[in-house]
Amino acid sequence: MTVSRRAWLRTLLQGIGVGLVVGPRFPTVDAAYGSEGSLGTGPLTVRVTRPFDAETPVREFTSWLTPNERFFVRSHFGPPAAETVQSDAWRLTVKGLVKEGLSVSLKDLQQFEAVTLTAVLQCSGNGRAHHRPKVPGVQWERGAVGNAQWTGVRLRDLLQRAGVKPQGLHVQFQGADRPVLATVPLFTRSIPLAKALHPDTLLAYEMNGRPLPLLHGAPLRVITPGWMAESCMKWLTEITVRADETPGYYMQQAYRIPETAVQPTSGLPGSAMVPVEQMLVKSLIAAPAEGDTVRKGPVTIQGVAWAGDVAVTQVEVSCDDGRTWEPARFVGEEQPYAWRQWQYIWNAKSVGPTAILCRATDARGERQPETSPWNPGGFLWSGWDRLTVTVAA
Amino acid sequence: MSMRHRPSSVVLASLKPLTDIPQPSRTLGRGGLARRALSPFTIVLLVILGAVAITAAQEEERTAVEPAVARKAATLILARCAVCHTTDLISQQRLPRDRWTATVEKMVHWGADLSKDEAALLVQYLSARNHPGAPDQLPSIENELAMAQPAREQGAATDGPLTGVAAKGAGLYAHNCQACHGEGAAGGAGPKLARNRILKNEGAFWETVLHGRGPMPAWGAVLSHQEIADIHAWLASR
Repeated sequence: MTVSRRAWLRTLLQGIGVGLVVGPRFPTVDAAYGSEGSLGTGPLTVRVTRPFDAETPVREFTSWLTPNERFFVRSHFGPPAAETVQSDAWRLTVKGLVKEGLSVSLKDLQQFEAVTLTAVLQCSGNGRAHHRPKVPGVQWERGAVGNAQWTGVRLRDLLQRAGVKPQGLHVQFQGADRPVLATVPLFTRSIPLAKALHPDTLLAYEMNGRPLPLLHGAPLRVITPGWMAESCMKWLTEITVRADETPGYYMQQAYRIPETAVQPTSGLPGSAMVPVEQMLVKSLIAAPAEGDTVRKGPVTIQGVAWAGDVAVTQVEVSCDDGRTWEPARFVGEEQPYAWRQWQYIWNAKSVGPTAILCRATDARGERQPETSPWNPGGFLWSGWDRLTVTVAA
Repeated sequence: MSMRHRPSSVVLASLKPLTDIPQPSRTLGRGGLARRALSPFTIVLLVILGAVAITAAQEEERTAVEPAVARKAATLILARCAVCHTTDLISQQRLPRDRWTATVEKMVHWGADLSKDEAALLVQYLSARNHPGAPDQLPSIENELAMAQPAREQGAATDGPLTGVAAKGAGLYAHNCQACHGEGAAGGAGPKLARNRILKNEGAFWETVLHGRGPMPAWGAVLSHQEIADIHAWLASR
């Protein structure tokens, strides 16, 4: 599988696009499977080869920004063919309950004021693998999250240009990605108008100062800072203002959580299901890594913590399996929606395996629980982060 | 595929039947309870306990699957599921039977080309292989299938020239290739194959079909060489 995965990635990154690889100049088998080349995706942990879903190893989170080529990748159908989203062919339409429908190029869009902000992007299924009993879906562990600098224009500015009619209460997004079979529902999502009009909700065309890569939604994606990533539509081509929430599978069935706690064994949720929206307070240990051996004496434990649209107020670390907790020290930058880096110097005394845990508290007073409430989709895992190291003499 | 060389003793062990009682095909997908020799008393008791007993059994279900059944199921997965997603997505799941049933139903609803019997076979295979108590690491379904493949499938493509039968290829194409390559090989999610240059480059054609290429899955475990030759003959006649 390794070989074909590499070949596939190379194909993708050369911009040839999904499924359209047999052209007039059919490359030889050697060329397709041949020498090692830069894959362009860095050291990602691949969960699904096609459509490509991969997470970032948490050791990458010792840096403030997560590099584009090491940023987690998730989509339902894989990227659209590269030529359909090249900036000269691409258009964004605005329609529905607006006074004036729009069709704009990237250049048109860039006439609006450019805004740059740093925000955590996190898949709702991040940590799904920790839920018990296990639930179906991509078994993400810890790294379906990253912190990047996004540059774009305000969705609000575009909507104001189109003029939202009074009946317009939800803003629907459609990307250019398509399922293999036409019988599979499209990935279509909507957000409430208030979030769409928030001045920090962006249509982003740059990621960490570079044009948005194909895998991350080129040429334009939605960024809803503080909200989980299923709202952050990639390969955006259509915005529709509507009176109601988007119908269809990916809004009405997927990405929903029970309003109140449910029993894991029940077939039906037994509670009203509401859309996943805001992030919960969460933290990760980036170093040391699971299974590392550390020397007796001072050990630097470091990581990140975030809480969506509120600040993280405290990170605590336990080096005795949760019996006692010590506050960590914040380091680096503090910006709304971004994660906060933290550090704790642990004086490792006893030789042998030791569990290291961390948990964060946010400005709402919410603190990470040991384990998150089970839900049928396995969303919003935010339990304590935990790993084991061995202390050597 | 490079992983063919790796032994997969774990899976082979799990493929061995619990008993030597031949498994009538109509019981496929009905769970493990019916396949052991049961006394009349036990049967009555089970009937009384009904759904409760079945539910309890589901959590730790370790129904053995006949090698032939496993082979058929794995082949179906490669042919019908891997059209949209690779098998690694399936392999990482650990679900009880009721969730597998719901998942397969959802996929059929979304267009997976599976008959009722085929869907039941998949549920049986997946709930035996990928149950909540299964080991964290399982060999890939491709690898498992390669290990379980009868000898006739192992031969190299260069054993001798095969004569493809275009008339047979039409049906094989419709069932295995059309979802991606379109009706009449006119293209779809995958490239147009009618009059595609690759048809004249037989080496590349066979390499692609047998081992996959880019987003296209490998078909070497699903189609026999004769079937691939038939499909080629039909495509060449378009």
